[in-house]
Amino acid sequence: MNILIWLIPLFPLLGFLILGLGFKRIPKAIASFIGTGTIGISFIFSIILFINSTHQITSSPVHQLTSSPVHHLFTWFSIGNLTIPFSFLIDPLSILMLLIVTGVGFIIHVYSVGYMGHDEGFNRFFANMNLFVFFMLLLVMGANYPVMFIGWEGVGLCSYLLIGFWFRNHEFNAAAIKAFIMNRIGDLGFLLGMFLLFTTFKSLNFNEIFSLAKGMTPGNGTMVAITLLLFVGAIGKSAQIPLYTWLPDAMAGPTPVSALIHAATMVTAGVYMIARSHILYLLAPATMNVITAVSLFTALFAATIAIYQNDIKKILAYSTISQLGYMFLGLSMGAFTGAMFHLTTHAFFKALLFLAAGSLIHALNGEQDIRKMGGLKSKLTKTWWTFLIGTVAISGIPPFSGFFSKDEILLSVFRNSITLWTIATIGALLTAFYMFRLLFLTFYGKYRGQADRESSIHESPKVMIIPLITLAVLSALGGIINLPGLFGGSTMLEQYLAPVFAGAEQFIRPPNYSVQPLTEWLLIAVIVVYIGAMVLIAYSRWMKNKLVPDAKVIEKSFFTRLCVNKFYVDEAYDAVIVKPVLWFSRILDEIVDTGIIDRVVTGTGRVTVWTGNTVRYLQTGHVGFYLFVMIGAIIAILVYNLLIL
Amino acid sequence: MNTIIALTVLGVAILFLGILKKNSWLLPTILAGIPIVLILTITGWDTNRHYFNDMLIVDNYAVTFNSVMIFSTFLIFMFAGKYYHLVQRSLDDIYAIVIFALVGCVLMTSYGNLIMLFLGIETLSIALYILAGSHKESITSNEATLKYFLLGSFLSGFLLFGIALIYGASGTFNLDGINSYVINHASHLPPIFKAGLFLMIIGLAFKIAIVPFHFWAPDVYEGTPTLVSAFMVTVVKTASIIALFRLFSTSFSAVKELWEPTLAILAVLTILVGNFTGLYQTNLKRMLAYSSISHSGYMMLAVIAFSHSSANTLLFYAFAYSVATILAFGVLILVREAKGNDLFTSFRGLAKRNPVEAFSLSVAMLSLTGIPPLAGFFAKYYLFFTVMDKGYLWLMIIAIVGSAVSAVYYFKPVISMYLEEGQEFDLKAGVAYRMSLLFLAILTVLTGVLPFFLINLI
Repeated sequence: MNILIWLIPLFPLLGFLILGLGFKRIPKAIASFIGTGTIGISFIFSIILFINSTHQITSSPVHQLTSSPVHHLFTWFSIGNLTIPFSFLIDPLSILMLLIVTGVGFIIHVYSVGYMGHDEGFNRFFANMNLFVFFMLLLVMGANYPVMFIGWEGVGLCSYLLIGFWFRNHEFNAAAIKAFIMNRIGDLGFLLGMFLLFTTFKSLNFNEIFSLAKGMTPGNGTMVAITLLLFVGAIGKSAQIPLYTWLPDAMAGPTPVSALIHAATMVTAGVYMIARSHILYLLAPATMNVITAVSLFTALFAATIAIYQNDIKKILAYSTISQLGYMFLGLSMGAFTGAMFHLTTHAFFKALLFLAAGSLIHALNGEQDIRKMGGLKSKLTKTWWTFLIGTVAISGIPPFSGFFSKDEILLSVFRNSITLWTIATIGALLTAFYMFRLLFLTFYGKYRGQADRESSIHESPKVMIIPLITLAVLSALGGIINLPGLFGGSTMLEQYLAPVFAGAEQFIRPPNYSVQPLTEWLLIAVIVVYIGAMVLIAYSRWMKNKLVPDAKVIEKSFFTRLCVNKFYVDEAYDAVIVKPVLWFSRILDEIVDTGIIDRVVTGTGRVTVWTGNTVRYLQTGHVGFYLFVMIGAIIAILVYNLLIL
Repeated sequence: MNTIIALTVLGVAILFLGILKKNSWLLPTILAGIPIVLILTITGWDTNRHYFNDMLIVDNYAVTFNSVMIFSTFLIFMFAGKYYHLVQRSLDDIYAIVIFALVGCVLMTSYGNLIMLFLGIETLSIALYILAGSHKESITSNEATLKYFLLGSFLSGFLLFGIALIYGASGTFNLDGINSYVINHASHLPPIFKAGLFLMIIGLAFKIAIVPFHFWAPDVYEGTPTLVSAFMVTVVKTASIIALFRLFSTSFSAVKELWEPTLAILAVLTILVGNFTGLYQTNLKRMLAYSSISHSGYMMLAVIAFSHSSANTLLFYAFAYSVATILAFGVLILVREAKGNDLFTSFRGLAKRNPVEAFSLSVAMLSLTGIPPLAGFFAKYYLFFTVMDKGYLWLMIIAIVGSAVSAVYYFKPVISMYLEEGQEFDLKAGVAYRMSLLFLAILTVLTGVLPFFLINLI
């Protein structure tokens, strides 16, 4: 079993090395085979791991893993009393992530064969994608924070490389740099958190830290600081307020990248990290409150912006930000399984939506503005079907997967506070609204693009459609994996993840309200009715009245203007942070660097060069001179040591 | 012992092949023979055998350092085919002498007796005098061998005289015997013993090319045929340092305060003079000569900061330094052949047509500078750590200053290759040669990324 675990990340790395070093020489057919095949093999291995783990769990009575979940490869480095082993932690939580990363990753890789088929950077694309999967696997498999951090940094790098994939476009490069810098801010928090962890626990291994942490008193100040710092890392990576603005810009990358990195996997790393460190977070209720506030605000805020966007990918990007907010909200309520459940279903339906959008963009020759779409239902029937399923799933309409996962998070919120529940529910309703707006504007009504292009609109090839259908099935039926008892299910995911979160129950704050099945039914009914209303409103606006957002609509009201311009957050950051930083750096450059440091450095350099120039004349080439100096040195050594001392 | 026998057999076999005029068999025989020798050497791990009344000691130090030297020799021979491909005459003598020189090196790491040390040094030196002059038609090669021979035989006298004085005082050549003599007489060592000790330092300092006994080194390294220079600055350098290390760690560790100031001053001088003079060189081969001098200064620090971890530090350093230097020489051979010289200006624009060669040379230069994550960084890191751990803060500061200065000249060829425009040319290295370069570059990276396989070896 052990060797299998090491092979999982190894194959994507091999794929990257082969494609990266072979670069342009490998023909596309072979490159696509290597690029997808390596991920496919990792997926198969992950499934074997999964089957093995379910077997272990069912065979042991107390929901404990029978074999040690930490697999040690080698000691990475050891300095003083800090020893960092390169080891992997394989427990249900990481296996779940493995399945998502390799499974959804595999589907998206297959899709990319079609989507990127005509691109000249085909091999580079797959090399980078394989590298991304490798780092993502390190992130989820690492058994300590440093290994997780390698993955954390690595996926950031790959995200940067893939956002700026079409590097000839300067705007795309700017978007890539923006994503990288915003992530770096978060990474700094992560790093500081790690340092503080080490000074507190003298270790960075998950097992040791968590078992030590269980003995600490809740509300401990250090713990609050550690968890807050780590949460800063999560904010950066998972695009929460205030570090979310990079994600919409990141849509500059190819659509499969948006699906894999900026929807299904990388951006959920923050959620995974907190779920992994759940004990630390449970011991810091103050941090949990911060997470509640940030995530709830993000969920609502991003959903509001999404309503007024006209770029299909940006709408999906804001939607991702908003859904990530729900995952964090679940985490902050202590509903870790719920958050992971939503993470899983979101990976399905958001990847589906992105890929379907990609199919759409592909058909329209790169058009992303929904104002220039419309009426595509008849031409792109398969894409429409899959997009419809994705929309229904994300809107939370039963019995599609999004309904169950979102409902579980909302329920956990309801147990704590009805006010928060109301706000969260409003966000969920907005989701349905902007998603159906998107659906109606793109697929229904009349085609609004250039007339001459209309004839060239074609359905995508099979290699893209099959992944879409697979994801559509998963989005539709994905709810089964954690069907609550209310619907006659057996909460399989919760059972499966139980060993990971076992031992943490004592720290979860008791719910304020106990929810009876009847209340639960009532809540569901309320939400479903309201979602239906939202769909109807969207229908009447965008279908019946055939409204199309254009420049005139924008002029309407102050609030609308705010939303259309994304609350001017980018502009505010530019004025408050970017411009002053640039100004400050110019001052440093002109006065401190050129004026002071440069002179000192050049001075040192001059002295050095002068010394070298002088010393080299000792090397005359005359043996006699050499002997003379050597004899002098010999006499000096002997006299100094024998006579003076 | 196995190593010495096997190497000698290999050398004799090469000579026989030369008599039989099987010139095309020479290199394959060596490339097949050296790995066998390496395996035989490694089988000596943990056996700790003593031969001929402690004349030779095959302990783990000897096994690991011998392995590094044999491996380095193998790497150098990988480039031999390309280097000598225009030479018409049979090369059996040159190859055999390199192998015999390696026997001398092996003796220098595994001696338990001063006589064996001297025997090893002379076996090595005489072989090197011939190798330095092996390019008979070249004036610089003749100059190199003459200078080396004149100065070398002069300084050998000091070494031998030092050994004689120590024998006179202690009555033994045996390293352990000298050690027990030193322990018994630590407070009142006779002047004759002290004189012997310092004369030995002087003799060995010449062999290692420690300032101010280094003057021969740049001239000799530059004049000697390039492949032999590569052997001299890596394998020979390692052997001499290890000889010094074994002598001082076994015999003289009890009177550390006696020799420590002298060695420290010599090391500091070596680091500073080596690096500062390196700044002004205009060609790569001479620059590498100065680089080798400054690196011997660094390795001396490990001898001074003698502790159990020094041997490991030294092993890692010798390995990282040897691999990077051989890699640099590998590229140097190509450029000299293509351009007729190795001035830095000849490297201009190299990267455009020869990405593998440019990359390899850059890796070598960065590793020698000590840039993470390459092997050279960890080599210096562990060395400086050991030095500081033993309380020699000032030595470490000087070493770091020297290291910073060295970056200037190590970056010169890298800048030339990548940033400067030049006439485009193809080095015509061939696939096998390129693969060897790439192998060394990857080895340098891997040793840096995963240093722990090597650092806790001994």
